[in-house]
Amino acid sequence: MIDQQAGTSTGTISVTSTGTKATRALGIVCLAGTALLVFLGLVGTPEDEVQRDTVRILYIHAPAAWVAYLAFGVTALASVLYLWKRTRSLTWDRLAGASAEIGVLFTAVTLATGMIWGHLSWGVYWTWDARLTTTALLFVLFLGYLALRRMPAEPEVRAKRAAILGIIAFIDVPIVHQSVEWWRTLHQDATVLRRDLQVQIEGIMLFTLFLGFVVFTLIYAWLLLHRTRIAVMEDALDEHGLELALEERRAEGVEAVDQSEGLAPA
Amino acid sequence: MRDAGWILGAYVIVLGGIALYAIRIVTRGRSLAKQLPDEDKTWT
Repeated sequence: MIDQQAGTSTGTISVTSTGTKATRALGIVCLAGTALLVFLGLVGTPEDEVQRDTVRILYIHAPAAWVAYLAFGVTALASVLYLWKRTRSLTWDRLAGASAEIGVLFTAVTLATGMIWGHLSWGVYWTWDARLTTTALLFVLFLGYLALRRMPAEPEVRAKRAAILGIIAFIDVPIVHQSVEWWRTLHQDATVLRRDLQVQIEGIMLFTLFLGFVVFTLIYAWLLLHRTRIAVMEDALDEHGLELALEERRAEGVEAVDQSEGLAPA
Repeated sequence: MRDAGWILGAYVIVLGGIALYAIRIVTRGRSLAKQLPDEDKTWT
């Protein structure tokens, strides 16, 4: 049944948030991990021989970039699963949209922290370096993806368009990662994910960087769970809104028929 | 610490940005959850 004033279904409302025991526990782990990361990143690690204190920015910059890759990877995978007829479901579309939104947030903070690091290390906030340019392109591509999702259309049409763009935009992710090897760039080479498997960092500094990757991945999981649940409710609300509109139109139709019958000559 | 302002600023941007986004989705989730019956909340 539809609540005419609120425009929503009436029924039991005992759950008033997107949280569960599991997400609350995950949230606490994220907060504790973030506190430890901030302590180690700012105080508990020594300065680097070459980069000095600016290396501290990399403990949050590199994990943010990793989460952006991960988020767009999930978007691409969910998009493929939506387009594949055997697994087609709007659940994949919601997951793709939620993950892309989080990916855009992490790309934005990656670019912002990279600009600060660049200002301190290179003396400029921005240069049209291959890594920076391809990352900026990635940001714009997925902003476009989010804009496409907001365009009014039938849910299935919107999902199909978004899935195609999500897969195309993801092609830029391996280009971003390999850009430091394919072109001569100002940006330093990979520190951990290297082709020669020679990790360029050790001790407490390696631990802090690794902690950053773990904590940011857990934060991504927490955000994704909540954002996907919001998408479920937004779709349900749209559906109920449509039901309400149809009921209103039916009521108007009945009223018009009653009026015309009342006016008709006996 | 050298360049402390810039380094702290970078941490504030990252953690502040994530925190603002988290607050936004939690409040949006609460607002939507109050408008819908429990059968529409598939995670319960």
